Amino acid sequence: MSKKINIWVLIAGAVVGIAAVALTALGNPANMGFCIACFLRDIAGATKLHSAAVVQYIRPEIIGLVLGSTIIALATGEFKPRAGSSPAVRFILGAIVMIGALVFLGCPLRMVIRMGGGDLNAFVGLVGFAIGILIGIFFLKRGFSLKRSYTATKVEGFALPFVMVALLALVLIVPTIFVFSESGPGSKHAPVLAALVIALIVGALAQKSRLCMVSGMRDAIMFRDFNLLSGFAAIFVVVLLGNIILGNFSGFSAYLQPIAHASQLWNLLGMVLVGWGSVLLGGCPLRQLILAGEGNGDSAVTVFGMVVGAAVAHNFKLAGSAASLTDGVYSAGGIATSGKIAVVIAAVVLLVISFMNIAKKERN
Amino acid sequence: MREQQLRTVVTFHTTAEAMALEQICKHRGIGGKLISAPRQLSADCGIAWCAPVEETAAIRAAIEESVLEIDRIHEIMLYV
Repeated sequence: MSKKINIWVLIAGAVVGIAAVALTALGNPANMGFCIACFLRDIAGATKLHSAAVVQYIRPEIIGLVLGSTIIALATGEFKPRAGSSPAVRFILGAIVMIGALVFLGCPLRMVIRMGGGDLNAFVGLVGFAIGILIGIFFLKRGFSLKRSYTATKVEGFALPFVMVALLALVLIVPTIFVFSESGPGSKHAPVLAALVIALIVGALAQKSRLCMVSGMRDAIMFRDFNLLSGFAAIFVVVLLGNIILGNFSGFSAYLQPIAHASQLWNLLGMVLVGWGSVLLGGCPLRQLILAGEGNGDSAVTVFGMVVGAAVAHNFKLAGSAASLTDGVYSAGGIATSGKIAVVIAAVVLLVISFMNIAKKERN
Repeated sequence: MREQQLRTVVTFHTTAEAMALEQICKHRGIGGKLISAPRQLSADCGIAWCAPVEETAAIRAAIEESVLEIDRIHEIMLYV
């Protein structure tokens, strides 16, 4: 069956790419115009859930993505409060996806943005991501399910949008209750209003188009449907062109890339966790934010799990450290032993969750 | 030139139910295939079963007899 590419997906992908390049030009860290994992990690730091001094900031991009989704969903009648699909398991999966992403140093969206910036380490991450998705599909085909969700109250549906509004109000009215990085990636950011407005637009487009890094690859593998994957491709092409035009592109290399390390085994395994966990969740970290914005309480719980996962990753030194060159001294960065152990434990937990949630019903 | 045709599309709450209907339909010789849920249909799991409209009655019977929990059965125009 031939498929018609949904123009909204291409538009959303292109706008995400332009937004990523623009946010970097406006002050966000290199190859980090958007990164759901990094930005939730920064929020976890700013709210003192972890104490890594270089990654603490209330990222308006996260607030904008969620509220952009909420506004467009309310306007188009697609805001539907629902919840009740294995919330505790989703919380744990959210934490695992975050730990995997922070081992790699980026969510699937930043992986594509890094690829567009010429970071070859991200291509290794893509291989891991694809492997993780294949593992997830293996379990889907054997009946994996987190069970259905049910219609919920408006309070449930507005849970994450309300948290985002509260966060925005607090950071504008009493910013001193938060901590903000004075150096490192957390200190680099676009102006608040610009980041918020750009993210509102991207959030609305992502809701409208169903843009999702995981579903794109799942659909391509399972149904040969490249519709959502075309959004993925659009982000890569636009970011690549944007970097070339702005003079930020110096060829493809794995060496000393911005906020990245070259420990390829752990780049790969980190993204295996992200791909696998995201298939079980039914969407990538970006999609979880968008779904939570349109009233999905299960996705809100997943986002809370990701925030806690980020705090755990930094409190217990599981996150990757970036390669650096300081005063002529090169450091390869990479993963501490605690991080390597965490990846293995997380994979075992994913395996247990995958097997334990396979439906045993016989039908014909 | 691609054409739109009227198709029967079944949406689900979970991917597992979608996979189950695929197996049941294969077992019963009912035509159709799993697809990414069309944008205009809201689907929790993002996957739907798409079949020629002539198969609607057989699909309904398979769902009822197998006590399968679905979201809805739609008839919509799709590119084929």
